[in-house]
Amino acid sequence: MKLPAALETFADREHVFEFMARGSRVPRLDVSHNVILYLEDITVAFDGFRALNDLTLYVDAGELRCIIGPNGAGKTTMMDVITGKTRPDSGSAWFGQTIDLLQLDEPEIAAAGIGRKFQKPTVFTEHSVFENLELAMAGDKRVWRILFAKLTPAQIERIESVLETIGLKDQRDARAGSLSHGQKQWLEIGMLLMQDPQLLLVDEPVAGMTPQETERTAELLLGLAGKHSVVVVEHDMAFVRSIARKVTVLHEGSVLAEGSLDEVQNNAKVVEVYLGE
Amino acid sequence: MHTPLLKTLLTERGSQVFLGVLIVTAILVPLLNLAVPADSALHVSTYTVTLLGKYLCYALLAIAVDLVWGYCGILSLGHTAFFALGGYAMGMYLMRQIGTRGVYGDPVLPDFMVFLNWSELPWYWHGFDMFWFAMLMVVLAPGALAYVFGWFAFRSRVTGVYLSIITQALTFALLLAFFRNEMGFGGNNGLTDFKDLLGFDLQADATRIGLFLATAFALGGGYVACRAIAASRAGRVIRAIRDAEGRARFIGYRVESYKLWLWTFSAVLAGIAGALYVPQVGIINPGEFAPINAIEIVIWVAVGGRGTLYGAVLGALVVNYAKTWFTGAFPEVWLYALGALFVLVTLFLPQGIVGLLARARKTA
Amino acid sequence: MTARLHRPPGRTVAHLMLWCWALLLASGLQVAAAQAPGDTHHAEQVAQLATAGFGEKERIVDALLEARHPQTRMLLAAFLDGRLASRKSDGKVFITEDADDGVALVDPVDASAAGTAKSSALRKIGTNNRLRKKLKGAIALFDLDDADAGVRLAAVDEMLRELDATTVSALRTRLGVEDSARVRRALEVGLALADLSSPDAEVRLAAVGTLEGELGTAVYNRLKTLERDEPDARVRDAALSGLRHIDQWRRFYGGVETLFFGLSLGSVLVLAAIGLAITFGVMGVINMAHGELMMIGAYTAYVMQLLLPQHTTLAVLLAVPAAFLVSGLVGVGIERGIVRFLYGRPLETLLATFGLSLILQQAVRSIFSPLNRSVATPEFMSGSWQINEVFSLTWNRLYIVIFALLVFALLQLVLNKTSLGLKVRAVSQNREMARALGVRSARVDAMTFGLGAGVAGVAGVALSQLTNVGPNLGQSYIVDSFMVVVFGGVGNLWGTLIGGMSLGVVNKLLEPWSGAVMAKILVLVFLILFIQRRPRGLFPHKGRAAEGH
Repeated sequence: MKLPAALETFADREHVFEFMARGSRVPRLDVSHNVILYLEDITVAFDGFRALNDLTLYVDAGELRCIIGPNGAGKTTMMDVITGKTRPDSGSAWFGQTIDLLQLDEPEIAAAGIGRKFQKPTVFTEHSVFENLELAMAGDKRVWRILFAKLTPAQIERIESVLETIGLKDQRDARAGSLSHGQKQWLEIGMLLMQDPQLLLVDEPVAGMTPQETERTAELLLGLAGKHSVVVVEHDMAFVRSIARKVTVLHEGSVLAEGSLDEVQNNAKVVEVYLGE
Repeated sequence: MHTPLLKTLLTERGSQVFLGVLIVTAILVPLLNLAVPADSALHVSTYTVTLLGKYLCYALLAIAVDLVWGYCGILSLGHTAFFALGGYAMGMYLMRQIGTRGVYGDPVLPDFMVFLNWSELPWYWHGFDMFWFAMLMVVLAPGALAYVFGWFAFRSRVTGVYLSIITQALTFALLLAFFRNEMGFGGNNGLTDFKDLLGFDLQADATRIGLFLATAFALGGGYVACRAIAASRAGRVIRAIRDAEGRARFIGYRVESYKLWLWTFSAVLAGIAGALYVPQVGIINPGEFAPINAIEIVIWVAVGGRGTLYGAVLGALVVNYAKTWFTGAFPEVWLYALGALFVLVTLFLPQGIVGLLARARKTA
Repeated sequence: MTARLHRPPGRTVAHLMLWCWALLLASGLQVAAAQAPGDTHHAEQVAQLATAGFGEKERIVDALLEARHPQTRMLLAAFLDGRLASRKSDGKVFITEDADDGVALVDPVDASAAGTAKSSALRKIGTNNRLRKKLKGAIALFDLDDADAGVRLAAVDEMLRELDATTVSALRTRLGVEDSARVRRALEVGLALADLSSPDAEVRLAAVGTLEGELGTAVYNRLKTLERDEPDARVRDAALSGLRHIDQWRRFYGGVETLFFGLSLGSVLVLAAIGLAITFGVMGVINMAHGELMMIGAYTAYVMQLLLPQHTTLAVLLAVPAAFLVSGLVGVGIERGIVRFLYGRPLETLLATFGLSLILQQAVRSIFSPLNRSVATPEFMSGSWQINEVFSLTWNRLYIVIFALLVFALLQLVLNKTSLGLKVRAVSQNREMARALGVRSARVDAMTFGLGAGVAGVAGVALSQLTNVGPNLGQSYIVDSFMVVVFGGVGNLWGTLIGGMSLGVVNKLLEPWSGAVMAKILVLVFLILFIQRRPRGLFPHKGRAAEGH
């Protein structure tokens, strides 16, 4: 074990790729005001079409928030902005008090503690389920560390426990590409768990799931809330009802209404948008 | 999967076969050349030894290409640039070794510089009289070029065919540059007329055998190193990047760092292959940069089966043997055959020979 | 210029007769009366040419000039062309003209036909450089009075090469009667150049003034020596400012010329890239055999010329549609046979089409030859357009620019105004939706690919007019073409046009200080860096669809 350790220190001193991280180190997350996500006046336009229009949204620490809204309301674009995939034309996005999301790129945002589950399940299809979880595991993700990284017994245990949580223990060594649609969704949630983020963005987690699968997913997400803040985008109102405490309705790129599900459902503007003129 | 490298190498059938054959060849070929009399049917001529050495250089180059293409999805049409740079670094050392034995007998300046009426050695030729320095450059020159190029390319997220095309443009630009006499690398004619390496006569059988063994060793070492990378967690990250680059970013991997690192390593391997190639063929000229050669390497890998490393070796050997045979027997037909190979392999054999064998074994 | 001097004999004779006629009108019967003794003298002088040495020949030419016999010009022109010979049997001097059965003889004194002879029965009357120079000057003296202003102008130009008392006085006389403004100006310049050697400083000063605005080499060189050797400070200053003026204009025209070279190179790039802009830009298909489709177009032009050897212009004009069809059909074949199985796998497409390019190259080597072939340039495209003394544009480059713009405009028209264009755009934007709307996308793919390939073929015809046609013709353009498309912005024809043109111009701007190869390398390096800064090119497509790439 001496040689890898020596190499690690060597790699440590070199920090060959260190300067590729732009700007300063990401500051620690500070949620002292009990708000974990600030989105203020965000506007994103594609060829004149405003996908987000002065969107302002706050998410509290430990909250489980559901975002609903018709197609094209800007839900996915909002996620893209938070995770650094899309840069807004104007506005600001802060993660806690100290982290300006607009200054960071995707890996930095992920390292800062924001995890994302995509609408279409994206897992690494050529890797096994176990490997998918291993890849997502929180920790130093720089090249030299990863090259000589060995799984510690504690880490293996953690992976096994997540496998249990998402119910894929039997598929441990199966190719992720061979999983069913629902299993892929869970695997992705499992990857989020491995990442251990402060804020989880979950895009349509129950699309295409059977009722049993949906129920299981709801349990999973509820189990996450409290320790983590979770933002769920979903169409399925029954599912939203089963998990949500606070709901935000997006429409044409900005917030139409916010409150408990009942409040929102009785909101005249929301009714108009959903039921038509 | 999470087993130590050695165990991986010993249990994986392809690796077993490849390393086994390589070791046997490395022992048998020198024996059959040196110990068996020339008139025996078992005798391996020095010509054959050199030809095999050349093939092994190609195999190492193919491994380098497979590492980035098969494992990370970076289709490089520029690996000849790294190969040639390594070759030129070695060539410069060999040129300096000629000393006063050149046509013009200048103790310092290579012949082509005397011919061009240069009075002084250009600055970048200094140090190449020392073997260690030249070897350092064999690694550093392609490595640095790859690092700088990759740093720009991967950071700005140039991917897919765009990347392929700009690697080709890079190679093309270098090709044009090295053709210029003013560059100081012998222009059109390149570097040639080498005499000896570390004091050993390059024409001697023993030197040829030595070079062959060095190449076999480099190929084996390169293979094991690539295998080690592929089997490491970094290897899994790299394959994850190949399959879903965006996803890898969102779980916190700095994709460009991984690509850059792998790319640079691959370029260094290609450079080493080039450095071993030059003393065996006795010449390096700008033709080695030609984009068509770069694409040919890709087809070796495709024919063998990408993403397996031993497939790349197999492909390099098969295609090059075919090339030697065709250009001897039916020179007209070779380009047709090569062209058809490109088309047929991509259309009907996406996993190459290795994939075909695997399928055959499964059905059997 | 030389073309003018070597005029066909028929035209020379016609001019001569015109000249005679004018002379007759002008001097009336006096001339007629003086003709007989002139003839005799002329004949004597001519007869002496047969045996004279070079020195003597010069003297004879002087004497002939002095006599100004009506046939002298014809004689001198023939002498200059080496068509003056003496008959071995009797030493008589004749002007010779090639005829079917040996050589036709013309009497140099009265221009009458004098039968034919075998060329072996004649001894050519030789000339040397000095003599030829003299003859040119002498002919110019005659041409100075020619009815055609163009001929007069050429004569003045010729005389400016060497001015002496005779020529100066001839020029001065001509200036008195000259009515063409251009010729007058040329005459003034000639006389001013002569005046620069005048002992009178005022005359020299005035002469420098007259020369203002002239850009020619003769004037420039003369001013240069004047600026160095002139004793009078005022004249020296004037010469200096004249030189500066010329330098300025030369620089200006040099710039315009560079720009033009750049545009013509850019046009070649645009032609090469525009087909690719369709297959790669609109369809997203990497076609490495694009260069070979150009090569096929160029060979179509070559074959067309083999079929119509006598009609160069017609062959080239017919080659354009023919190349479009041939390359287009090959393109459709490629799409149906290979590319369609590889949609969505761009790297595999790249490899397969590259393999195809090897096959096509080798096929051309087998069918034609590995050697380069040249395609003749039609007459209207050869030569150059002399705009002034320091600035001319070669016709073939000019036509290439026009042709490129024409192809571009046509393509825009096809894509924007025809139903094929509509379908192409629909399929490229949303294949599923287009299919749902009843567009047969497979057919459209084949047609689009065929269109791109056909345009490549047309580009090949254009290239055949600039370089030799060979199996490697396409290969050298493939990297450039991709660079242009990517630089301009994929999926954007205007981007390709502007990208190609600006790359051409930048290349030519760099060339003077870095050399041609270095310029190309620099442009490539610039492009590599540029693509990394702006991976979507100059004019990127924005929006949701583009995000998905």
